[in-house]
Amino acid sequence: MDPYEIEFIGENRIVSIIPNFSYDKIYLICGEFGPFRAGLPMNVPLWLAVMLKQKQKCRIVPPDWMDIEILEGIKEEEKKSRFFTKMPNEHYMVEAKLILGAANEDIPRAAEIKTIIKDIWDIRMSKLRTSMDALMKSGGSYGRLDHLTMMEINSVKPILPEAMDELYRIKVTSRKTIPATLNSSTYSQSGTSQNT
Amino acid sequence: MDTEDIELSEEEEEITAETVLKTLQIAWQNERLAPEILPHRNDMVECMLGQIQHMERNINKLPKTDLRASIHQMELNRIKYIICNYLKTRLDKIEKYCISIVNDEKQRMESGMNYLTVSEFRYAQEYLLNMENHLKNTVLNHVPGNMQSFEMNKMAIYPNLQSHIFLKANDTINGIILEDLLGDHDEEIDLEEGSQHILQYKPVAELVKNGKVQLV
Repeated sequence: MDPYEIEFIGENRIVSIIPNFSYDKIYLICGEFGPFRAGLPMNVPLWLAVMLKQKQKCRIVPPDWMDIEILEGIKEEEKKSRFFTKMPNEHYMVEAKLILGAANEDIPRAAEIKTIIKDIWDIRMSKLRTSMDALMKSGGSYGRLDHLTMMEINSVKPILPEAMDELYRIKVTSRKTIPATLNSSTYSQSGTSQNT
Repeated sequence: MDTEDIELSEEEEEITAETVLKTLQIAWQNERLAPEILPHRNDMVECMLGQIQHMERNINKLPKTDLRASIHQMELNRIKYIICNYLKTRLDKIEKYCISIVNDEKQRMESGMNYLTVSEFRYAQEYLLNMENHLKNTVLNHVPGNMQSFEMNKMAIYPNLQSHIFLKANDTINGIILEDLLGDHDEEIDLEEGSQHILQYKPVAELVKNGKVQLV
């Protein structure tokens, strides 16, 4: 999928805004939101928050995790752990990019936050590359990827699945050419069952 | 299965537009990421199109400058994008795997488990017919008689069900068998609820179709 589509999916996440106008509840297909009361925080989907922000109708409240101390903690944790740690939310990168992009001035210490999030992303991506390498070297056809967010998974497409497909193809051919033992019958079965 | 669903969504008031939208979004995501065509969710598409029409009528009653109108309009555009992209993805697969899909679908129709909607099936058949006519007119009719037969099944393209996909388990599922090609010890794995994996599509194809796992 295109990164913009992942962003599109991430835009459904609920964030908090403080509107500067008052309105009744709005009944959207994805749920009801409001009432809008000027100066009072309320929840809306991220796409709506960004839209209202662009029209200068609201301030975006930074999500709880968009805080220097919390992020420092996550970064340390991520550095120490061999595995991927759980991120504060499924779409942290999308949320950070959109909120920091549209509402930079609403977020205290936005520049530092941006740097830390980027650091966390980099640590995770380098871990991901290392584990991909290990997975391929072990000739794996299966891997577990807990706590990776959709954007991170998408960043290794199509290279990882395609490399694994290729490895599978090599295994199939080597199995065909290596002595035709009992195995060949099971292979031809799995080969034709595709067609059914 | 699908006719049942349509009845459900029309008769039962409990199913909210919000649920329909979520279902549709997951169907779209799965369709985008699965190598083969998945059972259609036309019930959800129809239901959502109805909602959109209803909403558009309401928006027209609002003054153009009304903030609510632009919010609703934006939401509708987002939903329309999902629906269009979902249907287009299916058509792309139908065109690409046309012969195999038409063959499989004929078998599935006998058991009433069709994956395509009526119009998708008609599209697939017409596409196939047009392709056949085109090949006959451009090539086959001009070659020696003994080579003129159109061997459709030799031209069939099959989706690669062995390709690797990323998934997230919505439920705990035990005992997925991963075939071991070189050695002879097939591996058995469990998918815990909420866990994410990369593996071949084939052993989990049914789980994608019944919603136990979701492609990511």
